[in-house]
Amino acid sequence: MKNVIIKIVGLILMVVSFIAYVAKADAFPIASENLVPWSVWFTIAVLVNMVVWFPVMKLVSFSIGIIWFYAFIAGLMPDTSTASGTLESLDWDDPEGVAEIGEGIFNTKGQCAACHTLDTSAPKGRCPDLSDIGAIAASRQPGVSSKQYLIESLYEPAKYLVPGYGKIMPEVWKNPIALTQLEIEAVIAFLQSKGGDIDPTPFDEPINRADADTTTVALEPLLTGEIEKGKEVFIDTACVSCHAVQGVENPQAGDENVDFEVVTAPELSDVAAVYEMRYIEESILLPHKEILPGYGKVTITAQGIIYDGTLVSQDEEKIVVKTKADDGTETEHTIRLSDIDEEPITDLSNLLEKGYFTITITPAGSDTPISGEIVDEDADTVTVKVGEETQIVSKTDVKKQMTLIDYSDVETVGEHVSGTRDDAEIVMIVDGVEESFDPFDIQDVITAFAKGRKLYERSPMPDNFPDLLSVKDLANLLAFLSSLTGATATEETTTEDVGEVISE
Amino acid sequence: MRCCSFTHKRIYYLIGIVLLGIILFVAIPAFAQDLTDAEYRPFPKIGSRSAAWIAAQLHLLFGSFILGVPMFAVIIEFIGWKTKEERYDRMAQEFIKLCMGAFSTTALLGGVLVFILVWCYPNVMKKMSGIFGPTMIFYVILFFGETFTLYLYSYGWDKMQGRHKGWHLFLGVLLNVWGTAIMFVSNTWLTYQTSPAVHWSKASEATREKWIEAQLANNPEATRSEIVQSVTEVLDKNPHGPVISLHDEVSGDFLGTVWEAVNNFTWMPVNIHRLIGNIAFGGSIVAAYAAFRYLVAKTEEEKSHYDWMGYNGNFIALCGLIPLPFAGYWLGREIYMFNNTMGIAMMGSLFSWLFILQAVMIGVLFIGANYYLWSGMGRVSDGEKYARYRPYMIAIIVICIAIWMTPRTFSSISSAAELSAMGGSNHPHLGFFGLMSAKNTVVNIVILTTFLSFLFYRRSGKIPTASWKSIGNIIISSLFFLGTVIIVVIGILGFVVEPATRVNVLTPWQVLVALGVMVVVTIIDIFMYRKATSSGIINWGKMTDRSQYVLILLAITFTSLMGLMGYARSGLREGWHIFGVMKDSSPDAHTPSLSEAVNMVSIIMIIFFALVGFIFWLGLWGDKKKQTNVPMVETAAADVSNSRDD
Repeated sequence: MKNVIIKIVGLILMVVSFIAYVAKADAFPIASENLVPWSVWFTIAVLVNMVVWFPVMKLVSFSIGIIWFYAFIAGLMPDTSTASGTLESLDWDDPEGVAEIGEGIFNTKGQCAACHTLDTSAPKGRCPDLSDIGAIAASRQPGVSSKQYLIESLYEPAKYLVPGYGKIMPEVWKNPIALTQLEIEAVIAFLQSKGGDIDPTPFDEPINRADADTTTVALEPLLTGEIEKGKEVFIDTACVSCHAVQGVENPQAGDENVDFEVVTAPELSDVAAVYEMRYIEESILLPHKEILPGYGKVTITAQGIIYDGTLVSQDEEKIVVKTKADDGTETEHTIRLSDIDEEPITDLSNLLEKGYFTITITPAGSDTPISGEIVDEDADTVTVKVGEETQIVSKTDVKKQMTLIDYSDVETVGEHVSGTRDDAEIVMIVDGVEESFDPFDIQDVITAFAKGRKLYERSPMPDNFPDLLSVKDLANLLAFLSSLTGATATEETTTEDVGEVISE
Repeated sequence: MRCCSFTHKRIYYLIGIVLLGIILFVAIPAFAQDLTDAEYRPFPKIGSRSAAWIAAQLHLLFGSFILGVPMFAVIIEFIGWKTKEERYDRMAQEFIKLCMGAFSTTALLGGVLVFILVWCYPNVMKKMSGIFGPTMIFYVILFFGETFTLYLYSYGWDKMQGRHKGWHLFLGVLLNVWGTAIMFVSNTWLTYQTSPAVHWSKASEATREKWIEAQLANNPEATRSEIVQSVTEVLDKNPHGPVISLHDEVSGDFLGTVWEAVNNFTWMPVNIHRLIGNIAFGGSIVAAYAAFRYLVAKTEEEKSHYDWMGYNGNFIALCGLIPLPFAGYWLGREIYMFNNTMGIAMMGSLFSWLFILQAVMIGVLFIGANYYLWSGMGRVSDGEKYARYRPYMIAIIVICIAIWMTPRTFSSISSAAELSAMGGSNHPHLGFFGLMSAKNTVVNIVILTTFLSFLFYRRSGKIPTASWKSIGNIIISSLFFLGTVIIVVIGILGFVVEPATRVNVLTPWQVLVALGVMVVVTIIDIFMYRKATSSGIINWGKMTDRSQYVLILLAITFTSLMGLMGYARSGLREGWHIFGVMKDSSPDAHTPSLSEAVNMVSIIMIIFFALVGFIFWLGLWGDKKKQTNVPMVETAAADVSNSRDD
């Protein structure tokens, strides 16, 4: 009788613990603080059944034990799901629960954690740390609420770029991530919970879902290049001298006669896993458009000293520039933005694109210059923030500053009244007195419409790099870069990797 | 009429009623809804994907069994006919009896799968049947051919002996032709979902023209000459030309012909992969059946017979296992050719950990297969003379499998502190084992070691009489040693050469060296032992119970591997019903995680083995009623040249 009870208990325990394990049920509580995982219960049950039962039941127990063993091994491996489940509704009576759902999406389907960190002490991520985004979102943009800021940032990631970070975030509502509105609402709740209050107010999506099917697949070029040839391009055009890629050697490494400057550039071993191919293509064709933090080159003059180096970091008040002396010594300089020297602006078009962030400009008909931060501009006007106010100033109707340099290199600076070097005379007001100059005596003329502080970050990549590539070279290079997925269980993504596909 | 038609009819009706009952029970509430025009109709309780997954996987497992078993059954029957040994004929007949039991269940599950697909995914089925309609009619014709040939082959077994044996064997061959054709046809549908495209060179003129027209319509700025020029540029580099979709990328309209849809990128690799896989799977299930019968056997005769049957089943499974990696390589290569991104997802990101789990399973297969061979030496009188080599061989296999299981990177399982301590996501030392060069090397060494085990088994109970036996042994030992050294040296070279050199030159040479050693050693060994004398007898039925459990372990592992690879093949489509053509907008439009998938595969396996066990039990029941005699297996001295079955 005792034996029969053991047999039945063993059998029931095996079945129950197997189902509980597969269903990911909580551990079985045999005491308040001693939880025994279902995997342990299952193992015990199989062993008991293997001892007490007759041969057929032993076989059954053994078979279920082996089946479970593989499920157990798989359970120890990293989660590879492309989804976090299907959300049909959100219970806003429990905002913390919604935030919890959002956290799950943040870490899985949304793939947010691939770039954003949630820990200020963690190594800097590719995108801003979000550990206190709920507290600071409201102050990011004047007049934009916390929730609105997050909504717009998720649907239009390029709209509000945090200084120092590039335009690399994909539109998460589109394929392949394709978050639904409910999922985005949950993610926003999670982000608001990071230091702020969760706002359950519903919102309308600022996009057209009909565009959601625009996939990267559809954007792929009609005819792709060849990976191996792209690798040759990568080496031949000296990309490899700055960008490290696992498994690709720099043929000129260690060569003392290398006549190019060795600079540090982002490692590209996993570039295809992190960035969309269109972004990578744009980075090749327009190297200066988006620069990863810590890799841009700058040349600035502050309090008369010229700094030529790498822009390490930047915030609203200061920048850190790393320079390298001839002997190789590297030094970091912290420079207040207000200490950067103003320089003449000879062309008022595309000020922001050129890196100007402040301007001092005098409208025609006024003797008082307007000086402040450049907020916005268009072809004809520039918007300047002076104190708490903003002023829109015409670009065409301004007083010009003229610098005349004679053949003795003597400079005369004044307000331009009339005339150019092609005219009979140039008239300027110098120190309040109108004076006339003979162009025949002038070596050079510099006309400035304003003065401004400028911080222009450029890529170390050669300006003419795209010109070095033929169309085929570019296609091949992109094919090679698309094969660099980094975090893999295999060495590289050539067809050799497929040798392990054994059976189906 | 040895094959007990009543028993199989009973199985057919019983399982059919049970399955129908389950479906009706869970589906009735859903059927009550008005879902006439719905894009997707939910399958109650477990969801549409789970329902389709379970039905498809079960259908595939049973299908593999009934397609794989006749392949080796007809070969064994042929051997029995030529050697005049009746036991082979009886064993082949017993295999076909198992097949008959599973046949009706396969058909039933196929019907269940179709019902589920039509109910849950009407639009997908509409699209697929629109393209593949003619093949479906062809499938039905083939199915009739398969069914009636199987009936004739099975029920006519006893009648068609003697002078009719040739015709019976012809029926067996015909049965395999029908079965293979059926599998090839059904493979077209699922492979098309993965790779609905062809190379330019394989497309008809009409399809090419339609494709160009579609490109012009979808890209208003493009001109015909530009498109033709771009195709020509690719043709200059690759004689197959570009990969062209068989659908208009915008409207989704089908542009090709039925044959082009059939002959898509992954069709033939999947056909060959499954053909070989079916042999391995069928062999392993037969071996597991024999192991079960061995463990419950009451008499020595039964034990002898099922020991012998289990040995043969395992031998067949191993014969299928060895070439499978090459077929898998081809399949993977075609996936890369079709879509590089899909290939990267398979080996480099989404499914990369699946292949670590696969390495665990293949490790189990090799260790289990070797263990069974070593146990088998115990049933030969002087087989233990090779026992002293076992510790070294198992050490080599375990180390090699451990290297094979090493992940390339540890980023997804390491903490920030661990990554920092390692100096990155690659371990400073173990990281080398994660590279393909190391993995290729250890796989070849494992295969050579397994071959050595088999060689020892083959030599057990024999004493060579050739005068040059000492020199022969020195040559064989040298070949093993040199082969291993060359494989290792090539593996080390693989770390320093360009990947293309490794893929195109070094890896094939490693395989050739391993194959070369096996072929040359086999030839030498055959000549050495041609006139060998017997030093012991094979005591069939004297195997340990542990060895029989290993056979069951191997069968379960084969089945798990099939389920796992099915998940990979299907999951590669990610959010598409037909990749790049028809999006999956159902609630299940994502690829589940590895643990979810393996849980599902585990549940399916339990159902599968429960059904198989039930069918086999019914067969056993029927046999008992008929008091069928178990064929005798000689336990006397083994005939060295013939009866070792190797």
